[in-house]
Amino acid sequence: MKQLFPVPHVIGFVSSLLLSLIALVVVKFDLTFASGMTILGVTALVQAGLQLFLFMHVNENEDKRSLMTNIAYALFVGLVTIFGTLFAMLWGYNMI
Amino acid sequence: MKIDHAKPLEYSTEENRLKILGFWVFLGAEIVLFSTLFAVYFTLVNRTGNGPAGSHIFELTPVMVETIVLLSSSFTIGLGIHAMRIGAKKAMMTFFGITLVLGAVFLGVEITEFVTYVHEGATIQTSAFLSSLFTLLGTHGAHVTFGLLWGSAILFQVKKRGLTPETANKSFIFSLYWHFLDVVWIFIFSFVYLKGMM
Repeated sequence: MKQLFPVPHVIGFVSSLLLSLIALVVVKFDLTFASGMTILGVTALVQAGLQLFLFMHVNENEDKRSLMTNIAYALFVGLVTIFGTLFAMLWGYNMI
Repeated sequence: MKIDHAKPLEYSTEENRLKILGFWVFLGAEIVLFSTLFAVYFTLVNRTGNGPAGSHIFELTPVMVETIVLLSSSFTIGLGIHAMRIGAKKAMMTFFGITLVLGAVFLGVEITEFVTYVHEGATIQTSAFLSSLFTLLGTHGAHVTFGLLWGSAILFQVKKRGLTPETANKSFIFSLYWHFLDVVWIFIFSFVYLKGMM
């Protein structure tokens, strides 16, 4: 029974729950927009990293280089899409 | 077909390794797909028109239930893959079964939430904000729905054929898909719900 629950997985699961609870502080306390977004950004990124490296086994793949290049490229395109859109549609000229 | 016994079953043939890499390429495209939906949402989040804003309709309890359920399902499918690697077919099937049940619970809560929104007069046609919200959440929910069908089919196949290089490969790829949906949800949870309730 014990071998069905490897310690890293259990730790990963508990930390993901903890990170979700930490993220809740932005709702429960009256924080500034910037500090709230920072907390959300950090907890979300750590959570995503946990999933990628612990559960999705990114590191053990033989084609690790092509895999990492692919993810990095996808993230680059994704981030440019999001921040490029925000820049063009909101920040660039609409200062409401 | 050359089977390399030094590797876990899902990586044991060249075809299997290429399929896993290929699936990562697909996940890369999915990252970009969800990025475009997030970009639209962030652009339109304040365009509420005569409809309600996020802070009026979002409720913490169902969102927390969804988050905990989805995180747990990500954990159980991870345990399922671990069980598969030590050859425990029955445990693997149990963990996959639990994962699918949790996925169905998630979907049930999300649908209930959508129904509540609509009853409060927040439909997909009410405002630009709600259109982008329902598109983002709905695309994620549609992925989960598809995952339930896909996962059930794989579970059925594992039961029928046992753990072979093919079924192990399919199961592993499905686990990647499921973890990815969890990652997308984390960003929805943080930057749609919590940000909206801030």
